[in-house]
Order: sequence, then C-alpha cells, then structure tokens
Amino acid sequence: MTFNLFAAEEQAIEQARLLGERLGAAAPDLRAEFDALVEAFQRSTREQRRLVRVSDRLQAQLGSANQELERRRQEAESALADLREAQEAMVRAEKLASLGALVAGVAHEINTPVGIAVSCASHLSDATARLRGRAQSGELSKADFSRYLTTATDTTALILTNCERAAKLIASFKQVAVDRASAERRAVHLNRYIQETLVSLEPKLRQSRHGITVSCPDGLVVDSYPGALSQILTNFVMNSVTHAFVDAQGAEGQGGALTVTVDEPEPGTVRLVYTDNGRGIPPDHLPRIFDPFFTTRRGEGGSGLGLHIVHNLAVGALKGTISVDSAPGQGTRFVLTFPKDTPPEDGAA
Amino acid sequence: MESLKLPATGRTPEVDFDFAQGVLRLSGESYPDDVATFFGPIFAALRGFLAEPGGHPVRFDMELLYFNSSSAKALMNIFQMLETAARDGRSISVTWCYEENDESMQELGEDFAEDLHHVAFTLKQIPADGAS
Ligand SMILES: Nc1ncnc2c1ncn2[C@@H]1O[C@H](COP(=O)(O)OP(=O)(O)OP(=O)(O)O)[C@@H](O)[C@H]1O
Ligand SMILES: [Mg+2]
Repeated sequence: MTFNLFAAEEQAIEQARLLGERLGAAAPDLRAEFDALVEAFQRSTREQRRLVRVSDRLQAQLGSANQELERRRQEAESALADLREAQEAMVRAEKLASLGALVAGVAHEINTPVGIAVSCASHLSDATARLRGRAQSGELSKADFSRYLTTATDTTALILTNCERAAKLIASFKQVAVDRASAERRAVHLNRYIQETLVSLEPKLRQSRHGITVSCPDGLVVDSYPGALSQILTNFVMNSVTHAFVDAQGAEGQGGALTVTVDEPEPGTVRLVYTDNGRGIPPDHLPRIFDPFFTTRRGEGGSGLGLHIVHNLAVGALKGTISVDSAPGQGTRFVLTFPKDTPPEDGAA
Repeated sequence: MESLKLPATGRTPEVDFDFAQGVLRLSGESYPDDVATFFGPIFAALRGFLAEPGGHPVRFDMELLYFNSSSAKALMNIFQMLETAARDGRSISVTWCYEENDESMQELGEDFAEDLHHVAFTLKQIPADGAS
C-alpha cells in the first residue's frame, strides 16, 4: 500500500462523484451546479498539493541558507583567530625589536666612558713606564715625580668616574632588560626607576637636543610591573622623538621639551603625566592612536604597535587606565593612572 | 489600457505589464509583507485588461526565482484567470522560467501547468545567477 498524503481528499472527491450520479437521477437540474462545486474542490486539492511543495522548497532553501551561514560564520571565526595570532606574533616581534634598539643604544652609550677610561689608563701606563725608566737609571728628579703624581691623580679620577658611569649604565640596562624580558612583579623606588629608564634613552635625546624634566615624589615606592612602566615610558619618549618635532620635510626636529610628572591624586593611586610640546595629533587621528597598526609613518619604520602595546600594558599589566589629550600645535599629553600596588589577578591562586 | 510597471523592492518582484503589447512579466523575488496590498492592484489591473473587448494575444512571463506560499497562491489565481480567458477563446501563452540546476523549480512549473488546458505553457531554462 503506497502512502498518500491526500488520501482523505481523494476519497471525498470519489464520494462526491458518486453522490453526483445519484443527484443526476433524482434532481437532474441540480447536476451541473453540483459538478462545478466538485470541480472547484478538486482544483483546490491540487492547489493544496502545490502549496505544500512550495513550502517544502522554501524550507529546503532555508536549511541550505542556514548551513551556508554557519559555514561562513566558521570561516570568519577562523580568519579572526588567524588574525589574532598574527597580531600577537607581531606584538612579540615588536617587543624584541624594541629590546634590540635598547641594546644598541646602551652599547653606544657605554662606549664613551669605556673609551675615555681606556685612553686614560694607557696614558697612565705610559707615564708610569717613563717614571720607572728614570728611577732605574737613577735620573729621577723631584720635579719628574711631582709631575707624575699630578698625571696619576687626574687620570685615575677620570678612569674612576668613567668606569662608574659605565657600571651605572650596565646596571640600569640590566634592570630594564630583565624587567622587559620577564615582566616580573616587584617593588621599585619609582623616581629612581624612571631615571634609570631614561638613561637608556639619553643618547637619542641628546642627539636631537630634547630636554626631559622628571618630577616624582622621592619616597614613592610602587609594587607593580616595572618592566611595563619602562616600556610605556620608552614608547612615549620614542614617539615624541619620531613624531612630535618633525618639520614639514619630515626630518626629526630638535630642542623639544618633554616632561614626566608623577603624583598620587589619592592614596594608593599613582598618576604619571607625560607631555611633549610638539606638533600634537590631529583630532581625526586621536581616537585611533591606540589601535594596533595605526601609524602615520608606515613605510618609514612605523608599525603602529607602539601605543597599542602601551595601552595593553597600562590596562593589562598595570591594571590602570590611559588617556591622551592633544591638539595640532598644542603638544601631546598622556595620563597614565594605575594602582600603587597592583591587585592580584582575579581568581589567581 | 495603461501599463502597470512597479520596480522591484527587497521583498517584491518587478512587475512589467505592458497591456498595449499584451506582454506581462513578473520577475525577481516575491515575499511581500502584505499580499493583499501588493497583489490587489495587480489583480485589479489584470481583471480589467482581460475584460476589455478586443482580445488580442497575451504572453505572460513568469520569471520569479523565489516566492513564498502566498505569492504561489496568487500566481495560481493569475493562472486561473488566464485559463478562463483562454477557454473563452483568447490566445494566451505562459512561460515559466527556472534557473539551470534548479530542478525543484522546474517540477513546480510542471505542477502549476496541471490546470492549464487552454493556455500554451512552456518551461524555459535560464542561466543561473540572474543573467536572464
Ligand atoms: N607624541 C606624539 N606626537 C605626535 N603624534 C604622535 C605622538 N605619539 C604618537 N603619535 C601618532 O600616533 C601614531 C601611533 O603611534 P604608535 O606608537 O602606536 O605607532 P608608531 O610610532 O607610528 O609606530 P611604532 O611605534 O610601532 O614604531 C603615530 O604614527 C603618530 O601619528
Ligand atoms: Mg611608536
């Protein structure tokens, strides 16, 4: 027996046909009208069949549209995941690159005091050899000896200060490098730490004759992620150097004034305000500067990740906030606010 | 009698009823928010046209590629009106267009032709993706 969706309708039509025959016999004048009714019912049944097919077709189309939608959604999601991965890779590469720049800067800076110390030492060594020669041949005069003493005093003083300077540079570099690499949490004396960070940037600043003023309460100790702080500060300064003072020809300008001002607007909260008096940022760029890959120097070394990383560090590592205030010709001002003691991760053991 | 021309909207098809030439065409997609508002004027115009004396030949091109159930019922009513006119002696042809590979649309066309005895009905395959 085959299944028929419209079996009941067909049966009704068959009954109507039989009834029509009986009616034909009993009341022939009604037959034609009755047949027209049966015909209308038959057509309506055929239309019903068609409508069922139309609606089945629509359901099938809806089903495949949904599948297509799901497929596209999955494609979009995996594209997004790829993009995130690529972005993270670029962020890591950027961190490494900025570490590389730091190494180069510090190597250059250490070269100067070490060079001076070496030439002083060799000068002292020459003078000592001469003195020994005179003493051995019994020609050493009192004047010779006192001249030697002056030389020795001067050169050893120079050697000492330059070696101390080199040692200080190495120490601060080690600090920054270690913090950057390990992002370790620890308590630091903020003023000292800012100074140490700036030491590594000094070559850049001196080259372009920018002056930087730091004002920070001396006793302020923060228990936080100093590596993040130093990276933020480095980015601020490097951005001022590369963007804020460029002239119409795009050459890096000179003689800007940068400031770092730290205070505690309320107990437990640290506010670091960084400013430059450069050319400022146009209003249509301002909302985008923290976006990854936003840069006005694409093709000239800008990746547009600097301030994105700054934002991530400020919000992520320091659990703080960052805002910018700038207008063309009015300089640029960043305000970084963060808890003096970084609260522990949510749910961290 | 004046032509009836309605541009397609997101949910309604293009209507191009050139009564002077006797060429009527529905094309696109049809799932109107309100069937009565959309099909009401179409039926009125068609009814007026078929009632006119003269009775020169009519061609109806059905180029809907997607339509909902109400539109399907409206289409059947239109076919019925055309069938009645053809039975009364008018020369009427209907062309049912379907995209290649759209077998279910082709089968629907065959179904819709079931009640057309006086109308000359043809199925016409058109290239997929619009370019008709
Ligand atoms: N101090 C500033 N003065 C003027 N414009 C600035 C300053 N700091 C940032 N900008 C603008 O914001 C943009 C984004 O800065 P960001 O540090 O994110 O990228 P970048 O410096 O261009 O590239 P990267 O830092 O990755 O090498 C810069 O391209 C620049 O247009
Ligand atoms: Mg930058």
